[in-house]
Amino acid sequence: MKLSAGLSALAISASLLAGCAQFESKRGVEVNWQSSVTGQLVSGQSTRRDVLALLGPPSQVIALDGESALYYLFEHSEGEGVILILYNRMQIDTRYDRAIFFFNEDDVLTEYATHLYPADEA
Amino acid sequence: MRPSGTRASAALLTCVLLAACSQWRYDLGAPLGDITLPSPKTPLAEALQLLGPPLLVSATDSGFVLAWEHWRIRENSVGFRLGALGADFLSADWGDMRIKGEFLLLTFNRDHLLTSATRSDWDNHGGGGKAIQPLFGFVSVVDVEDLTEAMPQHRWGSSLLQRLPGTLNTNSNPDTGKSGLQQRGTPTAAGQQSLGMD
Repeated sequence: MKLSAGLSALAISASLLAGCAQFESKRGVEVNWQSSVTGQLVSGQSTRRDVLALLGPPSQVIALDGESALYYLFEHSEGEGVILILYNRMQIDTRYDRAIFFFNEDDVLTEYATHLYPADEA
Repeated sequence: MRPSGTRASAALLTCVLLAACSQWRYDLGAPLGDITLPSPKTPLAEALQLLGPPLLVSATDSGFVLAWEHWRIRENSVGFRLGALGADFLSADWGDMRIKGEFLLLTFNRDHLLTSATRSDWDNHGGGGKAIQPLFGFVSVVDVEDLTEAMPQHRWGSSLLQRLPGTLNTNSNPDTGKSGLQQRGTPTAAGQQSLGMD
């Protein structure tokens, strides 16, 4: 009887101290490279000025021996977990929305690619 | 105090003082999947269409290099703490880490044609340890910080605004996209980073 009371107390204590956690972290530039926006760009015609006007300042400007690239990055981490005192578990998923644009010596767009997770499409 | 009350208090105290099993799971990026490596001389536009934007980009002497990566990190730890108010009378810890990842590297020449493609997949033990530490816990038995840090692109702007020795060295930093790139977890005491100026 005393043993079961002790175990019950332990179980109640553990359940009272149980918790959960959820958090998210966002870093990077604002996502402006939805397909409706980048659809206005044409390789071989659009210029760096056009890209900057549509998307704003990039995360990184890369010099490529006369050519250049603009890199846009939005990093989104989501974490959730359970805290059960005797067992704790956290899961953190990080996804990267990104876009890259290559320009030739005349600042004309040569190639580009974008990636956007559906949750960030809106 | 009644014996049952004492027992309940002891059980409660035990729960608080004995931190037990903790598991951390990190998933960075998206799996590369069963993609077929582009063949040599594939145009950049085709590679981007196949793989999407790379996660890392850098200029090289003969063109540029692009990389895609996906990491899964599993950290398990078990610890016991006997103490209170931040001072552990005794702590015993065991930790273990497993790393699973994919890395795809493509190099292009100045004509934007693929010159090489390589991919690596790994599923390795990433380290771990055991410790019994009196009074204070000085040692962390598992360390994943260098593997889970934010992408270097976020630091690009600030890297140009460091104190002068650091700014002068910026072009040699693998984070700038001008001097090659490196994978997560690369040791900083060897190679190009060892030349860094603080």
